[in-house]
Amino acid sequence: MASFDRASSARSPLIPLFPQWGRVSIFELALILTCIALVVVRLPTSFQDVLLLTYMFAGLALAWNIAGGYAGLISFGHAAFFGVGAYTSTILYLNLGLTPWIGLWVGGLLAAVFGAVLALVCARLRGPFFILSTLAFAEVVRLGALNWVSLTGGPEGLSIPPVSGYANMVFTSKAIYAWIMLSYAVAIYAVTKALEASRFGYYLCAIRDDEDAAAAAGVNPLIGRTAAMALSAGLTGIGGSLFAQYFLYLDPTFLISPELSFQFALLPAVGGLGTAIGPVLGSLLITPLSELLRSHLGNAAAGLHLVIYSAGLIVVMLYFPGGLAAAIAKLDWRRRRS
Amino acid sequence: MTAFSQLLISGILIGSIYALMSIGLTLVFGVLRVVNFAHGEFLMLAMYGAWGITQVLGLNPYWGLIAIVPAMFLFGAIVHRLIVQPALDKPHLVVVFATMGLSIFMQNVALMAMSADLRDVPPVFAQSVIIGPLYFKAELLLGFVVTLVCTVALQWIIRKTYLGKAIRATVQDGEAAMLMGIPVPHIFLITFAGGSALVGLAACIMLPLFSVFPTVGLNFVLIAFVIVVLGGMGSIEGALLGGICVGVVQSLSGYYIAPAFGQMFFFILFLLVMIFRPNGLLGQKGAANIGMNS
Repeated sequence: MASFDRASSARSPLIPLFPQWGRVSIFELALILTCIALVVVRLPTSFQDVLLLTYMFAGLALAWNIAGGYAGLISFGHAAFFGVGAYTSTILYLNLGLTPWIGLWVGGLLAAVFGAVLALVCARLRGPFFILSTLAFAEVVRLGALNWVSLTGGPEGLSIPPVSGYANMVFTSKAIYAWIMLSYAVAIYAVTKALEASRFGYYLCAIRDDEDAAAAAGVNPLIGRTAAMALSAGLTGIGGSLFAQYFLYLDPTFLISPELSFQFALLPAVGGLGTAIGPVLGSLLITPLSELLRSHLGNAAAGLHLVIYSAGLIVVMLYFPGGLAAAIAKLDWRRRRS
Repeated sequence: MTAFSQLLISGILIGSIYALMSIGLTLVFGVLRVVNFAHGEFLMLAMYGAWGITQVLGLNPYWGLIAIVPAMFLFGAIVHRLIVQPALDKPHLVVVFATMGLSIFMQNVALMAMSADLRDVPPVFAQSVIIGPLYFKAELLLGFVVTLVCTVALQWIIRKTYLGKAIRATVQDGEAAMLMGIPVPHIFLITFAGGSALVGLAACIMLPLFSVFPTVGLNFVLIAFVIVVLGGMGSIEGALLGGICVGVVQSLSGYYIAPAFGQMFFFILFLLVMIFRPNGLLGQKGAANIGMNS
């Protein structure tokens, strides 16, 4: 976990240069402007795909980080929430004709309910037991989706007709998707920053760092854990709906796969757990790398990108447990000196 | 009634195989309290090793034991030295993420090297064992016997030998053990490597019964954790009991309740155990908080 020098924030300048707890910094503003510029300049189509996936994974990693980084609820089952969101908006659209613009909120809400259920079911579990339970939970959801053929199409999956239009939320231009994914990531970034600045955010960190002490100080760990998980799951579910509208095909073996869950967890772990900037940096570094590896090496190296980032994860965990965010923090010479 | 007893006994036999696979994890997770998420991938690796031996040398997988068990001991020692040991003095999250990283690493290396195809070996014994109206695979019976022998032998090592006493002392109080002249880091290394060697043994016994593919570990690692927890962390006879429970429940529910959802059963059982008996059947207090060194 990154350590925060919370007391010093009172005497730093109006807008700090480097990321700080609960505040917007010049570094982050510059990063957002760069991200906007990358969409505006209209890269070649294949790069636009990589770009929008990078933004999407940044958003998903941020969503995971709310539970995993701030509340200490390490989940290897977030793909379940992603899948729930994707299936909900798609099924509502295909069966009832409900526009995905509304469907994504329903998907997010349902995913939040799933998240709350998971947190309540695992209320007594800590550490490895909690982690294994999230993995098992996601497998139950995946096998459920795979076997409930009448609703989810089973192993064949569901296809969204590629009829473009604002009402269908299907676009021919990649740039529009890139804007949507960027807004998604920025929105979750804002949620994370607001969380850091709020009482609730401090509650979550207190629960993570010492649950007994937090309870003794009047924080209800059960409510905190459940709310954090529901928020994280709900945001992940919305991401699932957005992904469905981009990809236009739902396949339970990908959407709710353990591999995807690991990916959600690995990005913040490499970037820096419990920091707002960490998951973003993790995604900016790893998603383009893995997408490019995948497109250049193709099926010849089906798992190569995962080999590379799992190896990276081991090295980061053992030697740089603060991740990329800690590396950025080291650049901040003024705070380091004080 | 015949169907029931057939299912029951098959459940016990298959459960003992699960127990065999979990004994290594009992040592590593139950005794050492090291959360090794890559346990399933150790099994996968050893199964591929045994499969390779059957393909190249044309021997039956049981001969593979001679090579696989020492190889897995060595592999365990290397993993311990490179990944587990540097993580031991750090927060518990580090071990979790590092072994999770190792698990993904091994899965995908296997995917690249072996593709996603299911590999299996032909049955070793031509005939099933027939007792009255009941039929059993001879491979299963052999596995059952091996598990019993292993359980007794390991129990004896842990209870009676110097090594076993040193392991228990190290777990109870590492600092005091060190002051008594026990080489604690070596004990950790040997126990972790020993756990891996047991996985190698289990892999050779399991290969004639199960196919091997890159993500085979994911199914088994959850069963293994459930068995270790059910048996009460670190108890070897508990693991045998836990394994048999899992096998029987799986065998009966697959037949009587819902065969289509059979796979889902492992995971639901895992969640139920976690919710209702996080301290295990033999109920060691505080077992659910293990691995949470803060």
